[in-house]
Amino acid sequence: MRRVAVTGIGIIAATGVGRERVWEALTAGRSGISRIEDFDTSNLKTNIAGVCRDFRPEEFFDERELTRLDRVSQLSIAATCMATREAGLTNGQLDSYEAGVYLGTGFGGQSSIEEFCGAFFSNGKGRRSAIAIPKSMYNASSSNIAIRFKTRGPNITFTTACSSGANAIGQAFHLIRYGHAERMIAGGVDAPITPVVMEAWKEMRVLSTKNEPPERACKPFSANRDGFVLAEGAGIVVLEDLETAKNRGARIYAEVLGYGSTADASHITFPDPEGEAHAITRALKDAGVDAKEIDYINAHGTATKLNDASETEAIKRVFGSRAYEVPINSIKSMIGHSMGAAGAIEFIATVLALDSQTIPPTINFEEPDPQCDLDYVTEGARELGRSTPMKVAISNSFGFGGNNAVLVVRAGVQ
Amino acid sequence: MTREAAESIEDAVKSIIIAELRVDHSQLGPTTHLMKDLGADSLDALNIALRLEERFRIKIPDDAIPRFLTVGDIVNGVNEHLSAQ
Repeated sequence: MRRVAVTGIGIIAATGVGRERVWEALTAGRSGISRIEDFDTSNLKTNIAGVCRDFRPEEFFDERELTRLDRVSQLSIAATCMATREAGLTNGQLDSYEAGVYLGTGFGGQSSIEEFCGAFFSNGKGRRSAIAIPKSMYNASSSNIAIRFKTRGPNITFTTACSSGANAIGQAFHLIRYGHAERMIAGGVDAPITPVVMEAWKEMRVLSTKNEPPERACKPFSANRDGFVLAEGAGIVVLEDLETAKNRGARIYAEVLGYGSTADASHITFPDPEGEAHAITRALKDAGVDAKEIDYINAHGTATKLNDASETEAIKRVFGSRAYEVPINSIKSMIGHSMGAAGAIEFIATVLALDSQTIPPTINFEEPDPQCDLDYVTEGARELGRSTPMKVAISNSFGFGGNNAVLVVRAGVQ
Repeated sequence: MTREAAESIEDAVKSIIIAELRVDHSQLGPTTHLMKDLGADSLDALNIALRLEERFRIKIPDDAIPRFLTVGDIVNGVNEHLSAQ
């Protein structure tokens, strides 16, 4: 059984582009949530989102490529550029049947499909396109990564709503662990901030309507939380067989230890703490670590009434009285909920927390909720002392559909 | 067809190609090959056909598209469709 290392990180989020900028903002407790400016929001109750304002596609693509790639593919490729560059991999090293792409997305090329639908329903007035299918299909991003980086191994898109990115990373981890690939580009991406998606979420009444000020809207675990803030983004990691990574002198951020995946099998949107708790215990078993070894939990923490209470209950079921001692945070308080990207971005945040021994805060916590009574790191970023270093952490991702995925990570290489 | 009308068809075809392929006007001559010279692929050809259909209000049959290889081919093709209508 191979061990699996994280050797490259690429991230685009509402708080910035690139590992350093995103991490600086998260540890400073700075929100990236802002007013939506790209379309009319006057009929919506929510007019804020986690838009990646610092992402400049023209820095990565020429004009022609921009017309051929939906924003979701642009985010994916750009984040992969960063991750592979950081991993010190040349295209020659990726041009192999031993390298593949596992990517999660909840919405795929949503903008392109909306554009085409607009033309379709406009009685011939709208601008039609011959490339709406290749731009909008769910596997466009992972395929475009393969085309760009020449990875010829397994190339699969996972779509499990909010846990898509975490499942993609977990599956890629197992693929390398069991010898089916040497190196994987894995992660999640979504670009769902569109008029139709915003309207659809509005009807479900799960988005925060605390528009003013935008950066204060998302309040995970706080009694006055009123829903999540929709976001876009991409989180990509390079996972490698540890020995290969060591032999080529790669910087090793962390080791992936375990992955657990379960289905609630109860309700399409209502979370079940039992399914979530089992995802955690399965991940711990897969990692071969005991619950008492977990030093930090990166929560799913959406800031919906239901999720935060259910997740808290799941953590209590697994960790017992120790649940009160493990620091837990939700970076969604700052970057919003980037759907299929969230699990991957939060996995990266977990890796960076271990790497820097710093836990970013859960911001906007204002009122204690009796159902959410754990340590959510609400006082600001927490730096761990040398006497009590964080060694092992988990990242939770729980998706609509009852699709749960949990990843276990260990700092550096032991 | 008047010389002006023929020129305006050629200009319109060229401006569609320029917009779709993001190329410069100076790159386009009658024998310029869309694939070999401008790096277009079959998806670009389909989008160019769509724009031609919209612009000239014509219906381009499926089997005509693979024959649209050069700027001259396209201009001639559009002329044929227009005169057949």
